[in-house]
Amino acid sequence: MQFEVPQLTASFYGAALPIIILCSTGIVALLMAVSKSLASPKVQYWLNFGALLLSLLLVIRLYAISGAASEMFLSGGFVSGRLGFFGQGAIIGIALVISLLMGEGYLKEKFFRGEIIALFHMVIAGMCTMVATDDLVTLFVGLEMASIGVYALIGYTNPTKLSQEGAIKYFVLGAVAAAILLFGFAFLYAATGTLRISEISSSIGKISGHSWVELGAILTIAGLGFKMALVPFHMWTPDAYEGSPTGLTAFMATAMKTMIMVAAIRMFENGLDGVHAVWLPVIGFMAAASLLFANIMALAQQSVKRMLAYSSIAHSGYMALSLASMSGGVSQYSVPSILFYLIGYVLVSLGAFAVIMWLENERCENIIVDDLTGLGKQHPYAATALALFMFSLGGMPPTVGFISKLYIFNSALSNNMIGLVVIAAIGSTISLYYYMRIIVRMFMMDSSPVLGALIKPVASKVTSGVVLVCAILIILFGTLLPESGMRVARHTSGEVTGGL
Amino acid sequence: MELINSHILSFLIFMPLVAAGVILFLPSLATARVVAMLASVVAFLGGLHVWYWFDGTSSALQFVESYEWIPSLGMKYIVGVDGLSLLLVVLTTFLMPLVLLSQCHISEPSQKPFLALLLALESGMIGALVAMDMVFFYVFWEAMLIPMYFIIGVWGGKRRIYAATKFVLYTVIGSLLMLAAAVVLYFAHFRQTGVYSTSLLDLYQVKLPIATQMWMFVAFAVAFAIKVPMWPFHTWLPDAHVEAPTVGSVILAGVLLKMGTYGLLRFAVPLFPEAMVQAAPVLIFCGVVGIIYGALTAWVQKDAKKMVAYSSVSHLGFVVIGTFAVMAGGEISVEALTGATYQMINHGISTGALFFLVGVIYERRHTRMLSDFGGLAENMPLFAIMLIVATLSSVGLPGTGGFVGEFLILNGTFQAMPLAGVLASLGVLLGAVYMLTLCRKILFGPLDNPENKEMEDLNARELGYLVPLAVLAIVMGIFPNAFIGKTKPSIEHLAKNYKNYSLDFRMGSDMSSKSAN
Repeated sequence: MQFEVPQLTASFYGAALPIIILCSTGIVALLMAVSKSLASPKVQYWLNFGALLLSLLLVIRLYAISGAASEMFLSGGFVSGRLGFFGQGAIIGIALVISLLMGEGYLKEKFFRGEIIALFHMVIAGMCTMVATDDLVTLFVGLEMASIGVYALIGYTNPTKLSQEGAIKYFVLGAVAAAILLFGFAFLYAATGTLRISEISSSIGKISGHSWVELGAILTIAGLGFKMALVPFHMWTPDAYEGSPTGLTAFMATAMKTMIMVAAIRMFENGLDGVHAVWLPVIGFMAAASLLFANIMALAQQSVKRMLAYSSIAHSGYMALSLASMSGGVSQYSVPSILFYLIGYVLVSLGAFAVIMWLENERCENIIVDDLTGLGKQHPYAATALALFMFSLGGMPPTVGFISKLYIFNSALSNNMIGLVVIAAIGSTISLYYYMRIIVRMFMMDSSPVLGALIKPVASKVTSGVVLVCAILIILFGTLLPESGMRVARHTSGEVTGGL
Repeated sequence: MELINSHILSFLIFMPLVAAGVILFLPSLATARVVAMLASVVAFLGGLHVWYWFDGTSSALQFVESYEWIPSLGMKYIVGVDGLSLLLVVLTTFLMPLVLLSQCHISEPSQKPFLALLLALESGMIGALVAMDMVFFYVFWEAMLIPMYFIIGVWGGKRRIYAATKFVLYTVIGSLLMLAAAVVLYFAHFRQTGVYSTSLLDLYQVKLPIATQMWMFVAFAVAFAIKVPMWPFHTWLPDAHVEAPTVGSVILAGVLLKMGTYGLLRFAVPLFPEAMVQAAPVLIFCGVVGIIYGALTAWVQKDAKKMVAYSSVSHLGFVVIGTFAVMAGGEISVEALTGATYQMINHGISTGALFFLVGVIYERRHTRMLSDFGGLAENMPLFAIMLIVATLSSVGLPGTGGFVGEFLILNGTFQAMPLAGVLASLGVLLGAVYMLTLCRKILFGPLDNPENKEMEDLNARELGYLVPLAVLAIVMGIFPNAFIGKTKPSIEHLAKNYKNYSLDFRMGSDMSSKSAN
């Protein structure tokens, strides 16, 4: 392999500026942590807010001006294209919302510390790298930057027994998964002689024996499946979700999922499409197993965050279903469907976790389903919003949950995957039951004074504002805007699918 | 007028929803009540407007509005009414003010969301009745569940949570089956025409092999049969009815159940005609079993509300057999189909009234057990009159709407399947037995319970919502043509041409030229 001398032009710096900003603020935050006055939560809050807002605006601008074809820099190490900027925009936007929520919650002092903000920004920079790269090594580096930071954030932000258990479990299993992923990449490299995702597919056609590529593809799926939280690689999810401070749980459920789905789209659509006969059954099986197993497990959960963890596994299952349906490039809608699903899922999850952050406090760090009893009477606004989010997660119209499932089923059925769709439909029905359990508690049962007293919504305009915006958006995407959302999704996916 | 006609259906769908939103933010319950009442009355006037301007000489879909919704998948916002849905739309808007009137003496703080949910439910029901796009219909069909779920689950009786959950899960399982079949139909349409469309008007044109039709018909029929509810999918109904608050039961019996029978007429029959012909005997069998089983079960009930609930299973069995009375020549009996459409309305009125009446005595005594009552005719004469009118209409006495509906259905069924006709007639007989038992146990006999002696007769508010129902039950028996007349072309069109079904449509903006024709 020959190394080109990287051509670092002005357009590269322009396209990579958000990542550069985030890395630098991460370092600045770390340096500021040594001084007491600079490390104060207030300073850190505004540093974090400013950096995220600036990079978000930059990414939006970059998305708007990027053309249909993507530009490669650093021999594929950095891709400047719509899909990447879409992923970056989503991740930075999520991070911004979550830091707004964190700033209102009871963990404010603990979260806005120099070292935590440094980690947080490194994680975001890692995620932004991973979604915008065509190079397997850079992809891995981005993934590890994000993952290691998240392990530390979970255990370190608010060190409790539960959070440390979650962090350790996540770390140990995550390290194994990273090794498996790297092993897969090594096989792909050995078989094709290239580390560029977009070149793998063209090399696959030239080599005769596929066995190393196939092995590499399967190991890659296993590694990505771990981060996607697909059954049977989901074991870490409930513990990590339950143990983390809720803001970070929301971050994992949304930003982490966006990162991994965008990377997976690139990997499967651009890189491994040639051997889809090998990975299709694997990912199909993982999707089906996630849809059934996670929905059944969620029925038995008492902790709301644990339940949402299983729900998140199930929703990964839906997206994996659509990943499977894009094999062979049959359905023009599979990639846009995944992106649309992501938009919907991110909005709903942010909303649901925002409600939980709204309710929890030092005395009630891990809300269980019973705690919500009678919430409808005490705090009708929070309860109504949570009910709406539950209906959307369950896929009821007129919310985005219904439309995005419709898109997924549509793309799967246009690829004749009837069996998987039937399993998904069964999973949906089961899931409705546990989402309804929360609604039943909130509205249909009277609270006992002991339970009801624990939950005290903080009077915060920011938190209630976030909840309101999420609620309005999921209704709009379910009624008036599904076409506009889909248009954005198709526009975005043009980078990898080559259409539009 | 043109402006009204071209948007009247959208107005009927969304105005109650907007009113529901407004109500939630109103400071006082009194204003909320006024707004709710106003909205429902305006909707009723809108319903009457549609009824008046509806061209009863045409089988076309009328007051059509069509906009793009999700063009990339061919989904549209299409609404329209024809003879199949016209009466149901008017019935829905008619029942709603009565339901609200029955609520206007309750002044608990939880009333505001309750009123809002009722109006949201009205939106959902009208939307499902007028939607002519498969996905758009599905959205309303499912969205309708949410308000009803809360109405049963929050304001219901002791086992309300069980009943509400059962209600939702039953319906959702059926709906998902229907959705799967609908998506397959959508792809079949794409393969045959090269165009993505979920518009029902396009989907009617799809020709499918009988084997495919069969399982898709089963999926649709099960979804609707659960809603009807048809034996053996009826088990959610007694629970839902018994636990629901009175107005919940009234709406459930009055309109929601009709969504099932309406869906069979609108979707299952014309979309999969060959499969329907083959499956008709099975469905008629289920209908007949439902008639007799529902009647026998109602007979032995000790709880008045449960009795009325099982009577619904029985009465809707008639609607089912009327829908599937395929005659030897392959046509559906026009008489039976007319009867089925009529019986839907009639059942809505008489059973709605019965649930209201059971609610009246429950409010006074907090019991619905038949054995707790007796001799109420003595001190509650007005109540007795109302109950007798509702009962007689329910059992189908000549001179009431029930007679017309059941007579037409049985007449048509005899021509199509004599045996089913005979067995169903048995159901009429049994119906008389249990409903008169209900009347006897409540109204007659000695008035020996001191608590019953103190029960007051109907007050003005109660008369306000019961009298219109009673009057209508009788008017519908004496002047059936006033109601059936406008629906006739659509019903005949469906009965004769369901194998090559297609619908013309007239845009809402053209409706005012009625006088010119």
